[in-house]
Amino acid sequence: MSAPAPTSHSSSRDPRRTSTVPKRTSLLPRPSSIAIDPTALIAQHAQLTGTHPITIGPRAVLHPHSKIDSTGCVVMVGEGVVVFERARVGVADVEAQPALVRRSSGMSAGGRDSRARGDGVVLGRNVVVETGAVVQGAEVGEGSVVEVGAVVGRGAVVGKYCTISAASVVPPYTNLPDYTVVFSGSQKRIDKTLQQRPDILEAKMAVHKKQLDMFRQLVANNITKWTG
Amino acid sequence: MAQPFPYTYYACDCFDSNTGADEEERTFDPRSPRADYALYPLEHLLYCEDCLRIRCPRCTIEETLNWYCPSCLFEVPSSVVKSDGNRCTRNCFNCPVCTSPLSVHSVENPEAPSAAGGPYILACSYCHWSTAETGIEFEKHTGIHSQLSRVANGGTPIPTQKERDKERDRRCKELDDQRASRHSVRPPPEDSPAADTATGGEAVQRDERFSNLSAFYKTQTDAQTPSNLFAAHDMSFSSPSTYSRIMNLYSTTSRNKKRDKPPPMREAAAELEGLSIHDPASDAAAIERLKKDGWSSTLSPAQKLAQIDPHVQFEDELRPVATLLCTKRSKRCRSCRHILSKPESKITSTRYKIKLLALNHIPRISIRALPSPTAQQPLPLAPGPTSSQPSPFNYNNLRQGIPTNFVIHLSNPLFDPVRVTLATPSTTPGKVHSKVTILCPQFEIGANTDVWDDALSSSSSSAAPVNKGTVVDSDGAIEPGKPYDRGRNWTSVVIEVVPGFLDQSIVSSTTDQGPDGELEEDDDVVEIPIFVRLEFEADINAEERGLGDSRGSKGEKETREEAFWTVVGAGRIARV
Repeated sequence: MSAPAPTSHSSSRDPRRTSTVPKRTSLLPRPSSIAIDPTALIAQHAQLTGTHPITIGPRAVLHPHSKIDSTGCVVMVGEGVVVFERARVGVADVEAQPALVRRSSGMSAGGRDSRARGDGVVLGRNVVVETGAVVQGAEVGEGSVVEVGAVVGRGAVVGKYCTISAASVVPPYTNLPDYTVVFSGSQKRIDKTLQQRPDILEAKMAVHKKQLDMFRQLVANNITKWTG
Repeated sequence: MAQPFPYTYYACDCFDSNTGADEEERTFDPRSPRADYALYPLEHLLYCEDCLRIRCPRCTIEETLNWYCPSCLFEVPSSVVKSDGNRCTRNCFNCPVCTSPLSVHSVENPEAPSAAGGPYILACSYCHWSTAETGIEFEKHTGIHSQLSRVANGGTPIPTQKERDKERDRRCKELDDQRASRHSVRPPPEDSPAADTATGGEAVQRDERFSNLSAFYKTQTDAQTPSNLFAAHDMSFSSPSTYSRIMNLYSTTSRNKKRDKPPPMREAAAELEGLSIHDPASDAAAIERLKKDGWSSTLSPAQKLAQIDPHVQFEDELRPVATLLCTKRSKRCRSCRHILSKPESKITSTRYKIKLLALNHIPRISIRALPSPTAQQPLPLAPGPTSSQPSPFNYNNLRQGIPTNFVIHLSNPLFDPVRVTLATPSTTPGKVHSKVTILCPQFEIGANTDVWDDALSSSSSSAAPVNKGTVVDSDGAIEPGKPYDRGRNWTSVVIEVVPGFLDQSIVSSTTDQGPDGELEEDDDVVEIPIFVRLEFEADINAEERGLGDSRGSKGEKETREEAFWTVVGAGRIARV
């Protein structure tokens, strides 16, 4: 599972390649370990970089040019997560603020052991990160949607079934309860429709499942690049 | 002004033209308070071909052509607007939380699909508000407006207007019976009908109160009408009221005065008559609710005001807001009623039938800096290839007392050559006096001919002298009396501006104006009023251009003259 060192990567040449010039290896640091579930879908130009371990859960979908960056911390992508084009998940710069990290871990005592993981980025089940969005937050709960161009700041904890609507910003080290909708920049409200109506929530998740199946048919899987 | 430099505004003198003859002699002052209402960018102006003048939004009349819903683009007849109000009565609603349009979603149970596609809700795709939060579901996905008017928040049905009227009549009769029977036997208190109507939502109560009140006032005015002698329906020649009125006219005044005062109308005294008594229990309940649910369950002022009933307080009282209708309007000249702009009446079309823009009739005047080494000291640049690229002129950094040259560029949209005379006061009005000199105040702009005409008839049209090389002579001074540059339908001239001294102006103005001499905001802006006079030979039937064949009578020409003030903003004087 663990990624081979760059030198060994260049030596094991593709038999179809005619050129004798060694294939250019990426200058980006390779993660120390990449654990990818075999049922995940990783498109051709998806990037997994960084130095910390990356875990990709079952049936997760990484679109082309999506970027999982574990330079700053561990990244865990849960089951059925969709990361769209040019979305970035993970903390790209190593420069961490220990004081703030400690404070956030103290504040969010809800079963989240951030000290054990370091300041990780965890995407829960069926999270959708849409085009161009940036997720640096510590945790995004199950079924949440980070819409186009939205930003979840470092260390923020987003609850279950939240919606960060397009171009909205969740400031660093904030805690959003379940079913929160962040809209028009920074306004927040609780989505009572989903909260009170489990049937609507179920229908929404069914749509997400259908979408996952659709991506499996439409997007070419390049998972071998990362597992092989 | 907020516009970035440099800018040009055109003055419309529509309201100031009748203030007196001495107004003609005065120069336009862009700093007078009235100027704010006269200056417009060229793009905002229309042009009346009958009056041969600029028409600003103040001197045009708007007429509503038709009403339409911006959401479904359906035209609403004006009769319907009068009867049903200015909101869409189809399926168009806006979110009461974030104002984005709501869409109809099916919440059909996949296990037990219904024939009509299951219950529907209105949901906001942006902030995820939906009518499910207020307990409203619809049976059909069409006619949402009428379905919504029949159901209150929480799903309880709202009685229609007719049912409400019937109910009120029944209860009025009951009350009368009670009153009659009270004299004999005290009746048992019968509050059951009142109790079950009070369970409706806030909106229902409000509607009901309104209909009760209007019914009550109607009965009151009906009761008053017979005593009103001047009632219109009672004016036949030999009616008794006419007779008594005439008798009143000729009888003593004291009696007449007594008759003038009708007995005052009774106010509503019962709930059935529309009286609502403030219940302190509702306030206490609201406070309790605020304690329990917190601030987030209340509404913002904007959300409240968007509601039909602006007195709602809590989130669960929100109703979807029906989309406001928009109008298409035509514009007419205020003085000659000539139509200046008229859009096509079809809603989906964005074209215009008539559109007389000032852009097409008035030369566009623009100003830009003429880069010169003396005007602005360039930043010390690093030696190398970067220095070949001159740094862009900084209009916010005009140097005090150092002459700066600007180029005024006029382009002609007309099909006839235009003789232009520019005039400007030698110093700008305001507290900072900048000296302004137009180096070539009289010149000609070529006609807006076909672009290819110029190229095809190469030798003849190139007779126009291009002065670009010669405008600056060997000494670096600019030769006056010649345009700076000239093209097919445009000419540019040089204007020299000597920005005034900010400190000196304070001193000079304090001597004659007293304590008012402090420099205020934007006093350091160089705004130059320029009077533009145009003279051109136009076809006599130019106003029928496009309609008739104007080419037939091409020989007949008349001289036209137009004049207006413009204000160009050249830049801001830098403080030292």
